[in-house]
Formats: sequence, structure tokens, C-alpha cells
Amino acid sequence: MNLKELKELIEMLKNTDISELEIERSGVKVRLRKGGDVTFHPAMPRMEYPPAAIVAPAISETERPAVEQAPAAASPDQIKVTSPIVGTFYRSSSPDKPSLVDIGDTVKKGQVLCIIEAMKLMNEIESEASGKIVQVLVENGQPVEYGQPLFVIEPV
Amino acid sequence: MFKKILIANRGEIALRIIRACKEMGIKTVAVHSTADAHALHVRFADQSVCIGPPKSSYSYLNVPSIISAAEITDAEAIHPGYGFLAENASFAEVCNSAGIKFIGPSPESIKLMGDKAKARETAEKAGVPILPGSAGVITEESDAVALARELGFPVIIKAVAGGGGKGMRVVMEETEFASAFVMAQSEALASFGNADVYVEKYITQPRHIEIQIIADEKGNIVSLGERECSIQRRHQKLIEEAPSAIVDAPLRKKMGDMAVALAKAVKYRNAGTIEFLMDVDSSFYFMEMNTRVQVEHPVTEMVTGVDIVKEQIRVAAGKTLSFTQDQIVVRGHSIECRVNAECPEKFTPSPGTITAFNPPGGPGVRVDTAAYTQYVIPPYYDSMIAKLIVHADTREEAIMRMNRALDEFIIEGVKTTIPMHKKILADEDFKQGNISTKFMERYHSPSK
Repeated sequence: MNLKELKELIEMLKNTDISELEIERSGVKVRLRKGGDVTFHPAMPRMEYPPAAIVAPAISETERPAVEQAPAAASPDQIKVTSPIVGTFYRSSSPDKPSLVDIGDTVKKGQVLCIIEAMKLMNEIESEASGKIVQVLVENGQPVEYGQPLFVIEPV
Repeated sequence: MFKKILIANRGEIALRIIRACKEMGIKTVAVHSTADAHALHVRFADQSVCIGPPKSSYSYLNVPSIISAAEITDAEAIHPGYGFLAENASFAEVCNSAGIKFIGPSPESIKLMGDKAKARETAEKAGVPILPGSAGVITEESDAVALARELGFPVIIKAVAGGGGKGMRVVMEETEFASAFVMAQSEALASFGNADVYVEKYITQPRHIEIQIIADEKGNIVSLGERECSIQRRHQKLIEEAPSAIVDAPLRKKMGDMAVALAKAVKYRNAGTIEFLMDVDSSFYFMEMNTRVQVEHPVTEMVTGVDIVKEQIRVAAGKTLSFTQDQIVVRGHSIECRVNAECPEKFTPSPGTITAFNPPGGPGVRVDTAAYTQYVIPPYYDSMIAKLIVHADTREEAIMRMNRALDEFIIEGVKTTIPMHKKILADEDFKQGNISTKFMERYHSPSK
């Protein structure tokens, strides 16, 4: 499926009552979900933590694809890692370090996936399962709430 | 003025605060547990943050989560409402150290008034009458008898570590005293591992009368008159009214002046309530001070025209009180009925889905609620679903209006206390204003 077809699909969905659509064609699975009911508006991250690294979110609330707020449900065997606390999400342990994990990485249960800063404390968030990272659902420096999905892991 | 306030609460009080903020042009942040994702306070706030699972200790009492939510949303102040963290001194302290304004008194005031013995001592020093009794623990039976004789019977023996009626003995006559004293001591030891008791004068038919005060950060303190909350069951208020049927203008001034004196003595700021027990001869005694907005604040708002929540926000932002004592006039009469989702006879909670919800309206009627049709009352929190408040020229008219409003209030799907309220309002003693905190006992088993 190419980009044009995807755009057409999105256009089509806009004019219908369908809220969710899943298509599988020649091994490629696409799931679209309409926005709405998005009540969490991320604020700009605070500057105390990695001032150099903060890439101010270039995408505003309205432009952000709905898939990020309401991530496509993982297939039954996939595991969603959710945030256990409220805070600011960081993908690396310090601004000059690379991301702790990336899409395609294989992780072990208990391995640190990301950092969530809450009340000036850096909390390491560990993986609940061993497997392969298939999705990273939050951008670096974004605020997250309790229960918000962060990663999708495919167990191995 | 603040640009954005986080509301660390749920239900009707969270909505009440959001309403005040909206009318003041202040942005709001709601926090909620996963059980409250569809609650109205979440819907009507400008932003919301999920702070934890349903259990309060992991969500609405979770200090790091709430502070973190304020930080990621850039909220400048936190309004705690009532219950949850409202009277938690360490929460107020954490707010201060995080540079977030706690909308309420200082942590020191909360701590001082939260300690019953210290609060009593402070009240006494400020010239507020306290219930006559032993200043502290009394161990010798002979001392206790002598004191009881001095106080005059009836007296009450209470466990220092007490609570829930355990280790508590009312003694009507001197002949019963000796055995009651020993029993109270052993009961206290069995229940709390501490045999310490004290003796106090016992009021047979007390009325619960409380004074609302509000103070700014410049030392101005104003009393907003009294509320009568004598209709209660197991220390849970059911009906509140302002003014009290037995408080006249001179008594109101006397009580108000004492409440202000106590507030001044502890350098109190923001809204607070001083609770008194009143005897049949109108003598009154300090009970405790609540360092937060009260559930029943609307009856005071109705008769004084003061918006207490807005004023709380204003004074927290450093503004001077928008009125002086001589501008406060009590007009008409207001009554509030707490509508709880519970079985009206047994008072057992009745959580579930509200299938139909029609709040009353019309002249002089106010409903503070966060419920709606199809709202699911979660089993994790308190059972209050609405506060029905009326205002009229006289107490008699207010009762008629409340009856009318209760008839219009349709709630289906869960059991509510509406039938119980109708019964109370029809009671001759209630109508005459002959009430005390013992009033509800007539609706319970006579053996108790």
C-alpha cells in the first residue's frame, strides 16, 4: 500500500460513521482510528532536564496523528508497556546519550526502556517482558499520564 | 491572579472549583483515577491527567503523582477541595517546596488544628470556651469522681486514643461513676492498647453549630455567620442550614468574634470552619477547626452572597478580601440536603449506574452534583451524589421549597437518601427547629 492509497483511505473514513478500520493486504496491516475524546493536552516539557536535548515537539496537538494518542491495539500476542506514573518521558538516561531502546531492538524482561521524570526524580521504567520493540508511542520530552501506553513489545 | 489551577479532587467539589475558575478566567487541570475517566470534572476541565488506579491511596492521595501532574501542565496553584489531601499538612508543604501555591492555610495551621489536644489548648488561650473537663489524662478514680462532681453530671469518660465510640462512657449519676470509669479504662486498653482516659462535661442534647471564616494573607479575617449541622448520623452530616433557628444576631456576633479571635491567634489564612457544640441554654464550646472548604459551604454562600471558592482563590493569589465584616449580612434562610447513593433505611452504600437523572430547578434551587444519566457511581469513593440547596425568605418557606425540590429530584437505578430527607422535613420537631445531634436516633433501633 502506498502513501496515496493511505491518504485516500483516511479521506474516505472522514466522511463515514466508522470509527475504526483495519485492512490487511499482502502482509501489510493498517489500522486507522478516528480521533476524538482526547483530553490530555501535553504541555511543553520543563527545562530542568536536558536543556540541550529538548526537541520542542514540532507537531502540535491537532496535527499529531491520532494513532499516537490512541495507539492501534496491539495484536493479541503483543504487549503494551504503560506508564506507571505521571511525568515527563525521556528515551535516554541523559541528553548526550543515545536512546535506551529503539524500534527493532530486542529487550529482556527488567531491562530499562525509558526514563520518566516525576518531581525532579528520574524513574527507570523496566520492560515487563522479553521481546522485540515494535512501536515507541511517545516522543522524547513529552508528558505522560498514568496508564498511558509507551511501547509495544512483541514477545519472543 | 493565577493562570492555571490544578484541582486535586473529584466529584461535585472538583466541578464546583472548575466553575469558579471558569468564571474567573483561570484555566483548569483535572486529575483523575482510571475509574473516573468519564467523570464530569475531567470533561469540563481544560486539561486532564490520569494519576493512578481507582484506589484513592494510589491516585487522589498520591502526592508525587499530583505534584508531577501540576508540573507537566504548568499549573501554578492546587485547590485540594475537601477530603483526600485537603487537611494533609505534608502535602501543603510539598506544594510549597515545589513552588506551587496550595489554596488553603499554611502547613503549620493545618498541623496545629489537626492535633485535637493542641487545637483545644490554642482555642482556650484565644478565649474560646472549651468543654469543661480534665486538662489531660486522669488515672486515679478518686480524682475523677471529684472532677465529675465539680463539672456536674452528666459527664463523659473518653479514651485519649479513642474513636468510633469505643472507650467512651456517659455517666448520668455519681453512683454509676466508679464502675463506668474502670470499664472505660479497660475498654480503652483492649481497643487501643492504651488505658488513658479523660473526663468531660456531657451535653445531653447538643446542637452542632459552626462558624465559617475566611482570611486573606494580610491579616484580614471575616466571619460569614453560622451553619447548623445538627442533623447527622454517626457524625455524618445529612442536612445543614444557615442561619441556625436558635442563633440570633447578638449570639452570631459573639460566636463570630470568637472564631475570628482563634483564627487570628494561629495567623490563619484562607477559608476555615470552627465547629462548636451548643447546649440548650445557648452556651457553646469549641469542638474543632476544619482547615478547608466544607461540603456545606453553599448554604453560607446562599445567605451571604459570598462565593467562598472564588474568594479562596483570590486570597491565595495574595489579594485582599473583597468585603469587610460590616458588609456581611445574612439574608433569608438556606437548607442543604446531601443526597447519597445509599439505602435510606440501613445507610448501606448503593453503587451502580444511574439510569435516570432529573435534578430539580426553579426559583431558589441550586444543585451541586457531578452525576448524570448513565453515570456509573464507582464503589471506591464516597456515596454522595448531589447536594440539593434551597434559599428562601424564611425557614418555613425554605422547608416548603426543599420539599418541592425533593419531589422533582428523580434518580433511578440506585437507591438514594431522598425518601429519608422527606421524612425528616415532615418531622414536627424539625419543622419547629427542635433539633440536636441526637435527632436521627429516632429513626434507628431504640436499643441503641
